[in-house]
Amino acid sequence: MASKVSLKAGKGKVVKKSAAADEDEGRAAVAAKFVKEWSTWAMKKAKVITHYGFIPMVIIIGMNSDPKPSLSQLLSPV
Amino acid sequence: METPILPSPAAATIPPATDSNPAAAEQPKVDYLNLPCPIPYEEIHREALMSLKPELFEGMRFDFTKGLNQKFSVSHSVMMGHTEIPSQSSEVIKIPTADYEFGANFIDPKLMLFGRVLTDGRLNARLKCDLSDNLTLKANAQLTNEPHMSHGTFNFDCKGSDYRTQFQLGNGGLLGASYIQSLTPHLSLGGEVFWAGQHRKSGIGYTARYNTDKMVATGKVASTGMVALSYVQKVSEKVSLASDFMYNYMSRDVTASFGYDYILRQCRLRGKIDSGGVVSALLEERFSMGLNFLLSAEIDHKKKDHKFGFGLTVGE
Repeated sequence: MASKVSLKAGKGKVVKKSAAADEDEGRAAVAAKFVKEWSTWAMKKAKVITHYGFIPMVIIIGMNSDPKPSLSQLLSPV
Repeated sequence: METPILPSPAAATIPPATDSNPAAAEQPKVDYLNLPCPIPYEEIHREALMSLKPELFEGMRFDFTKGLNQKFSVSHSVMMGHTEIPSQSSEVIKIPTADYEFGANFIDPKLMLFGRVLTDGRLNARLKCDLSDNLTLKANAQLTNEPHMSHGTFNFDCKGSDYRTQFQLGNGGLLGASYIQSLTPHLSLGGEVFWAGQHRKSGIGYTARYNTDKMVATGKVASTGMVALSYVQKVSEKVSLASDFMYNYMSRDVTASFGYDYILRQCRLRGKIDSGGVVSALLEERFSMGLNFLLSAEIDHKKKDHKFGFGLTVGE
């Protein structure tokens, strides 16, 4: 019985040490996963924004450059 | 000084001595401390590309470019042609397609924006920004609505007095860097490395370019197995001839082509013949200021396939 108790105590110590190391690794892994997920989310949003917004942005920059063209010039086919 | 200084008037164009001596102050022929800036790495064979790879097309093409002011212009394009579907049999399957493309360009000395969008939602965008005298940011994107079919790259270019470097970042984990240096007023050498994250491939390549007023010779070797050589000779102001040789020693693929480029007063005619049995030509005729007529033809004798196209370009 004593041997059983001491065995259990021994296992408890090993479990505690690996728990601490695991916690550190876990934190790093969670942080890395968080960064990766966040950067993938940012890339997806950037792709959608570029896809829809690039041509309007070029048009806005062009319409505000000197000499300022008028809207009728942009829309008319001549 | 071992090499004698020749007192001929054409001293500047005599090729320099084989061992380049950095103490160039003693040689009035070539000033090695003041070499010209080399051509950018990706444009090293641009003369050959201009002559041998013109924009051939099939079907009808109509381009209308409207300038709203000096820097900003808008373009409308209609293209009706065929898209090819790869098929098992030797016959080529062509499906007629028609597209309308709207484009907007903004060109400033410091910033250049170029965007083209098609009716099916594909966007082709380019950006070039001069962050400072020597540093340039370039970005290029082809975006589609289909998932996983979009590409984008960012390039940072740094220019020195006689060298250029470029660092490239692309999607799919693509990283690349290149460096090119002028060694003499006529010769420049360069190298590049790249790493493709998605395919876990890396490669290294070297190029050399030798040019004079009358000819340009370039060579390129890459660890992907590609060897490409090209030679362009400017026969006169109006005529230039180009030839190109590409060999892949991994896949044992060889292609050689020979082409001509006539730049005449009213037209520009480019034609080429290929070792794969392809003969092609492109004619751009200027009817009047701002009105260009295009004729394109390509015949593939091996596959028994032909493509003819005509088009009109209105506007500058």
